[in-house]
This record gives sequence, structure tokens and C-alpha cells, in this order.
Amino acid sequence: MRDLIGRLVPTQAGLGYIVLVATAAAYLIVYTSSLGRFPTSFDYLSILNTMLPLVFVAIGQSLVVLTGGIDLSVGGIVSLCVAVTATTVTGTGIAPFGWLIVVLVLGAACGAINGVIVAAGRIAPILATLATLSIFTGLALWVLPVPGGSIPSVVRNVLSNPNVPTGLIWLGVAIGGWLVLRRTRFGMRIYAVGSDETSARAVGVPAGRVKLGVYALSGLCGALASVFYVSTTTAGDANAGAPFILTSIASVVVGGVAFTGGRGSALGAVAGAVALTLVIDVLFFAGIDPLYQSLFQGLFLVVAVLLGTVATLVARRRRAAA
Amino acid sequence: MNLHRYGRLLVAAVALAVVAACGSPASETPATQAAGTGKLKIALSNSFIGNQWRVEMENVFKAACAMPPYVDQVECSVFNAGNDVSTQSRQISNLISQGVDGIVINAASTSGLNGVVQQACDRGIVVVSFDNTVDAACGLTVNTDQVKFGQQLAQFIVDELNGQGKVIMVTGVAGTGADNDRNKGAMEVFAANPGIEIVATYSGMWDSATAQRATSGQLPSLPKIDGVWVSGGTDGVIKAFSAAKRPMPVVGGEAENGFRKYMAGILTPKVNGMSIGQPPFLSVISLELARGVIKKEHPKESITIPFPVVTSDTLVPGETVFPDLPDSFFADFTDSGPNATVILCQQAATDGTPCPGKTLDVNFGKR
Repeated sequence: MRDLIGRLVPTQAGLGYIVLVATAAAYLIVYTSSLGRFPTSFDYLSILNTMLPLVFVAIGQSLVVLTGGIDLSVGGIVSLCVAVTATTVTGTGIAPFGWLIVVLVLGAACGAINGVIVAAGRIAPILATLATLSIFTGLALWVLPVPGGSIPSVVRNVLSNPNVPTGLIWLGVAIGGWLVLRRTRFGMRIYAVGSDETSARAVGVPAGRVKLGVYALSGLCGALASVFYVSTTTAGDANAGAPFILTSIASVVVGGVAFTGGRGSALGAVAGAVALTLVIDVLFFAGIDPLYQSLFQGLFLVVAVLLGTVATLVARRRRAAA
Repeated sequence: MNLHRYGRLLVAAVALAVVAACGSPASETPATQAAGTGKLKIALSNSFIGNQWRVEMENVFKAACAMPPYVDQVECSVFNAGNDVSTQSRQISNLISQGVDGIVINAASTSGLNGVVQQACDRGIVVVSFDNTVDAACGLTVNTDQVKFGQQLAQFIVDELNGQGKVIMVTGVAGTGADNDRNKGAMEVFAANPGIEIVATYSGMWDSATAQRATSGQLPSLPKIDGVWVSGGTDGVIKAFSAAKRPMPVVGGEAENGFRKYMAGILTPKVNGMSIGQPPFLSVISLELARGVIKKEHPKESITIPFPVVTSDTLVPGETVFPDLPDSFFADFTDSGPNATVILCQQAATDGTPCPGKTLDVNFGKR
């Protein structure tokens, strides 16, 4: 009997999928009951294109959280890369894609700076990335003082085509990238450092290098998010990154990645990010008074996190009983 | 292997959604459904709702929707997104799916909504943005001329002082378009009048408390001041002069109810001044423009409306200054005078309830 109950309650890692499935079901229900028809390809496409930036930032954030850290500077990195993308990526044919690579390198470099401060400087990640957040945001304002800029339509057609779901390809690439990464030596070391850094060091895991790598990857993910952001909105804004700080952390939490590090998966964070995007739509079609929307978004987070805690407790008790 | 089990669930859900999508292929053109039959659907998509101005702006919109002619012609809805571009973008996408006829926007970012606004335009939805407008070329805008704001207040001060005197300028939040434009307009006028000497320029951050603190700090080192030009937080500046027992200068400032109370002599000392503001009823003008364009009663073009202006001599309690409302209230939620753009009552701005027995008449005409 106990075994059955244990099996019905999700483990923390599975939480993100449960929340996602529940939110997706809720979306389909409120949408059809509100409009009397199923969502159209326009709805799916616009959801896909709007959520991609958050999905990328959430993957980066989850890597950092898996090592027991946190990256507040994603907001600044996204802002800076959005500003650079909107001002520099021009031209036709192949040229814009060359510039996109420059932006990705810039993002990774920004992340690597965080990594150096955290790993070599031994400064708490929350402090280090809070400081770099301000620096990157300031640089973004310097690059693009007033919202504007543009993106060549060739980039838009390839990245977030408003008529063809090209975004699915990139979503697949991101998920595939994670599935490969976690089977590499580097991927296993991320978990090792997050579970117990001291033991990991004792068995010869270069914890500093792993951290440097994770923050650089988080920066790279931030840059990818920026590219998709500019591609979707067709322009830049030096304040674009700010909302991603909290939403990426929320995605990681909903996705069941443990803040103590070592437990969870980037896929969970992806599920969390999609769920968070869908919640906006659920509230919209449920006809919730706009004044209370942020209240309900908060409640959603609390419930999701509570579910995670309950799941962990049950799992622990199950393990103790076994 | 819990992960895989949930993974399979996920795949199932996605498959379900895709099947659902394929099951309803013919409903790609939702925008035109409501047109012609019954009421027009017009939605207000606002970014954040964290200050007095935004609250009044939404209240007058709701009030207008409950008054003729809108109550019979338009079905309104209101959405707030916070300062998050992706949330506002999702909401506008959903409005497109809902098949609204018009969307009225105060944007979280002037550039961040270009993509989704273009999609709305492509589906024949009339998009009107105001205050913080959207760049997308296909959308219409309703706004005021901020350079003129600076010029008009400065010209008033120059005229009242007969072109001679010492003036201070209290500016707004640096780095914003409106602050730049307002200051530019004022500087033009002051520079053209060599008898005017600007003895101090500092920021009041468009906030009464900040403006009062900054002014109190500056006053001891300043000579007798003849005129004050204020971009925002005007009542704070007056309170600082009053507290320092300085003679009251001529004041050109924003539309805070507190400032107008001083101008009307409801608060003492009585101030000689001119009050201009970014009117919260821009939302109502945008509603009218959207309605008119959809019904083909207006040409499809953007509008710049004149600022509602009052001076100490033209103030009327209950119409342009409100003795029982707080100082922080923006008293320009309604226009006044024979050529008024739109006239609204007090409860429209405070509660969002309709003005009893009134038909709204919006006048786009130039003064």
C-alpha cells in the first residue's frame, strides 16, 4: 500500500513534468471553454516563439543551480546581448549569422567572468553575480540607450519564423544538447560538484574548472536567449533582461532542481519554463481580474514548490522505510 | 526511471495538443468574426499598474466603456502585464486568438512588442498605442507633444515675469524621452529671452517628495527666485518654498491636484501658475480612435492631442481642481473649456464608474 502511494507521488525530479502536463491541460480546457474551439497553429507558434528565450535562460540557470550556485547576472547578460544583437547584427545572406556567433561568444565570455570570480575569487555566487548584473546592465544601456535597433528578416525566418515552427528545431537542439552534456565527463562532474564539493575535490574533480564551465555555459544560454528575443520582438531594449532573473529561477524551482545542488535536470527547468509561460495564458483565458493575476502567478509558484517539498519528504520516508 | 514515465506523459500531452491543432484547421482568421454583428471587441493592454497615473488611466477607460456611445457599441476588456515584455506579448497574442477588433496598448517597451503588433495588424486588428507607444509602423499612436509641454510652461513664466528674472528648473527622470523633450522645449524658450537667468537646474525625479527634498537643499544657496519651471512633483517644490518662508515665485508645473489646490487658493499661499500634464484620458482617446477606425468613421492616422492647460485664473473647483481628492491625484483626468478633448467626471477617475446621464464626446480637433 505504502509502495503504491509512494509511486503515485512524484519524485522531485519529475515535478516539472507533472506541473507542465497539468498546466497544458488547464490551458487546453480554459482555451476551448472560452473560445469554443481548440487552439490553432497561431497559438502554438506564438507560445513557442515567446517561450524560447526563457527556455534557454532556464537551461543555463539550471546548470548553475546544479552546482549549488545561482546566477543573477543572466538578466544583465541577456540585456547586453540583446542590445548588441539589435545594434550590430545587420546585412544579408550569411553575414548576420557571423555576427550572431560574435554575440554568443560575448555571452559566454560574460559568463566566464562570473565563473572566474566565483571559482578563483571564492566569492559567494549570489554576491558575484549581483555585482556583474549591474555591470552588464550598465554596459547594455551604454550600447543601446533608447529601445530600438533591428534584425534582418533572414535571421527571423530561420530562428523564430512567425509562420513555420522553426523554433521547434532549436528547442530540440537545446534539449539534445543537454542529453549529450549530462552523459559527458563534464556533465557528471557538474552533479559531483553540486552534491558534495569537498568529496568531489578529494577524488580529483577540478571543481573550479567545472564552475567556470557552468557559468560560461549559462552566459552562452543567455546570449542564445537574447538572439531569440530580438528575433521574436524584431528590436532591442536594454532593459529586456530584467524579468528573466526571477522567471529563470522560478522555472528552475518549478522544474524540481534542488537549490542545494546535485539533484534535478535541465529538462525539468525547460518544463518549468514552458509551464510558467502557459500560466499567463491560463490566467488570461480563465478571465482572472488583471489586478489579481500576479497573485495567482505567485500562488502557482508556491503550490509547485510545496508539491516538490512534499515529494521529497515522501521519497525520503519511503527510502527510510525500505 | 520516473523521468521516462513522465517524459512519456509529456509526449502524450504534446501529441494530444497537435491532434487538437490539426482538428481545427479552418479557424485561422479569427479577427473578422465579431465585425458587423453585434459589439466591437476592444481590449486595453497595459504594462504596469503601480502608480496613480496608471490607475486613473485604467479607471477612465473602464468608465468610458460603461458610457454611451461605447456601452452600446464596444465590449471592453483590460489586461495588465507588469513591466514584462513577454507577458504583454503573450496577452496580445491571446487577444489576437480571441478575435478582438481593436487593441489599445500602453507598452512595457517601445520596441519589444513590434513583432506581435505586426501579427495583429496582419490579421486586420486595429492597434492604437498611447503614452509609452509602440514603434511598429503598422500601429496608430495617440500622444502629446512633450517639447511643447516645456515650451508652453516656459513661455508662461517668461510672460508673467515680463522677460526679466531668475528662474530654476526642476527636471524629471534622466534618460527618458519625455524628460529630454520637456527640458529641450523649456531651454529653447529661456535661451530666446536674455533677461531670464537660470540660476539652478536639478532633478525632482517626477516625484513630489524627491522634488521637495531637492528644493529644500538648494534654496539656502539661491538668491530670490522669480520663476520655477517644474517637469513633475510641483506640489513638493511649492511646499519647500513655503517651508523656507521664501516669497512664492511664478510656477509652471505638472497637473498634480496638490499644485492646483495652491493655484486655486484652496491651500495657502496662493500660487500664480500654469498647470499642464500628460492626461490619463489618453486611454479614452485611443479607445475612440480604435472604434472610429474600425467603423471607418476616422481616417487611419495617428493623433497628437493638445495638452489640457489651466492657469490660476481659469481653475474651477470640481472640474479642474478637486478639493476632496489627495494632492498626488492627477487632476488632468478630464479636459476643460469649450474646445475640450473629452470631459469626464470625478468618479470616472476614482472608481472607474460611468458619469451619470452623460454621452462621451471625444474631440480630436486642434486648438
